[in-house]
Amino acid sequence: MLLKTKNLMKAFGGLKAIDKVDFELPAGEIRGIIGPNGSGKSTFFNLVSGVYDPDPGSYIEFDGHDITNEPPHKIGALGLSRTFQLLRLYQDMSVINNVMSGYHTRVKYKFFEAVIGRKKIWDQEKEIKDEMMELLSFVGLADYAELNASELSGGQRRLLVLARAIAMKPKLLMLDEPAAGLSPVNVDNLMKIIMQLKDKYGLTLIIIEHILKVVMDTCNTVTVLDHGQKIAEGTPSQVKDDNAVIEAYLGKKMNDEEMRKALAV
Amino acid sequence: MEKFKKLISQYPFLGFIIAYLVLLCVPTIFFTDLYQSHLSSLIFINIIVAAGLNIVKGYCGQVTVGHVGLYAVGSYTAGCMFMYLGSDLWMTLPAAIIITGLFGIAFGIPSFRLEGPYLALATLGGGEAIRLFIENGEFFGSTYGISSISQPVIFGVPFDTPDKYYYISLPVMIIAVYFSYSILKSSIGRAFMSVREDPISAAASGIDIKKYKILAFILSAMFAGAAGAVYAHLPPGYIHPNNYTVIEMVTFLAMVVFGGLGHIWGGIIGAIIITIVYDLTRPLYEYQLFIFGLTIVLTILFMPKGIGGFIDKIFIDKRFKKKKVEEVK
Repeated sequence: MLLKTKNLMKAFGGLKAIDKVDFELPAGEIRGIIGPNGSGKSTFFNLVSGVYDPDPGSYIEFDGHDITNEPPHKIGALGLSRTFQLLRLYQDMSVINNVMSGYHTRVKYKFFEAVIGRKKIWDQEKEIKDEMMELLSFVGLADYAELNASELSGGQRRLLVLARAIAMKPKLLMLDEPAAGLSPVNVDNLMKIIMQLKDKYGLTLIIIEHILKVVMDTCNTVTVLDHGQKIAEGTPSQVKDDNAVIEAYLGKKMNDEEMRKALAV
Repeated sequence: MEKFKKLISQYPFLGFIIAYLVLLCVPTIFFTDLYQSHLSSLIFINIIVAAGLNIVKGYCGQVTVGHVGLYAVGSYTAGCMFMYLGSDLWMTLPAAIIITGLFGIAFGIPSFRLEGPYLALATLGGGEAIRLFIENGEFFGSTYGISSISQPVIFGVPFDTPDKYYYISLPVMIIAVYFSYSILKSSIGRAFMSVREDPISAAASGIDIKKYKILAFILSAMFAGAAGAVYAHLPPGYIHPNNYTVIEMVTFLAMVVFGGLGHIWGGIIGAIIITIVYDLTRPLYEYQLFIFGLTIVLTILFMPKGIGGFIDKIFIDKRFKKKKVEEVK
């Protein structure tokens, strides 16, 4: 198992954002996580990537390491990369610097070598830049490399955060609504790029997405969360017909008597 | 020319050696009186401070207003070492750098929890506390300051006049700027920038935020310490607590902001321009602070990345347009 959570819990005050979620993800899989707004999908990401500390009793394991209470940068260094729902781009940095800062954990030279500025550093920097330019041209942003990230359009920004997350060559990539706010054509384009990157780098993916077409078409398995609890898990077609899932998304079908009761009150 | 450019990009220190050689020749060709040498030394000292301030403020985005306190620590380390041990610049410079670096840790720790104006207040308090401590300490010469600090002697030649001291402050400045250049151009500089732009997303990329924040503070403190020591030994070798007030801090901030926050040459451009302007407008002493405050406000409003960023932007836009035009063709 690449990622495993056991009894994962997180409460904000009295609200149980994540309630005893057991989650297992084998390497190489594409996993979708769906659920209504506020069902704890993003909280789940934040717990796994270390942005939030889980409540006592939880256990998270990534690639054989216990990462339950590790700080985010250590989890990142282990090869777990993620994107954010609100992108969190480095607005005031050039596009190429955005991507190159994602490379941070793979930089080989030491601090003092950088201070002295040995030739080795500049050779390596050039290698990094070439590799990152290649990645940028792969997602189609090579022409914009020198511009500020704030000058990009919404769709280009989504591609840039994707490139930045890939730059660290992660084992597991967690995408938080990668296609939010994109037009149908751009969604298809983005998913195509994500699939190509997955094959190229041998990634395991977890995707949170509200566009169900994306989830149903691309994911091997889908996990459904509601009110912080895992209510269903299975292949997309299994999940689609699951009663609990339909209830969470569309509401419960009442019989006549229940309806009468509800209206009388 | 192309070959030369490639060589420089492979061995950046060559560019610094060339700059050093050029600046070595400047006094003999251009300078007509001692004051110009003195002013150049001041410019070099300000460049060192501004380059350091650019690391912590421009790159790492930590608002520090107590930097002048670190500068004072550097100066008084040198001053006290001279007064009590009789050390010269070769001893006091490394000692000042190390001790100021340690003070930098103390200034950096609040940045773990404080941000923006709150951090500014904390560091402002720290800087002022250092100044007041010096002013009231008999050990530090209190309000009399420390005077006639010795100038270095090399092979029996004393560098005790401003025109000679130029050749002492110049190499220190070149080395400091070279270090700031190689630090900021490497992955460390990028890590600083990402901590400034978005700490959460930086952490997700595997960047240890606390480590880089404290590193930025230590590095910039070391720069301030080096500058302070060179300033202490600057002929006539006199330091006084009044040289390290908030007013000096505003001047340093004006340099970095005007030159370009987060631009690799920002502090250097700003230090040169502001020091010269400051000197030329000495007759208008009452208005100087007002003008500097206004400069900071106007620069932030109309040229948020300062002169350096402004010039960069022009070139980048030009290149981008050229590329797009070629594509259309």
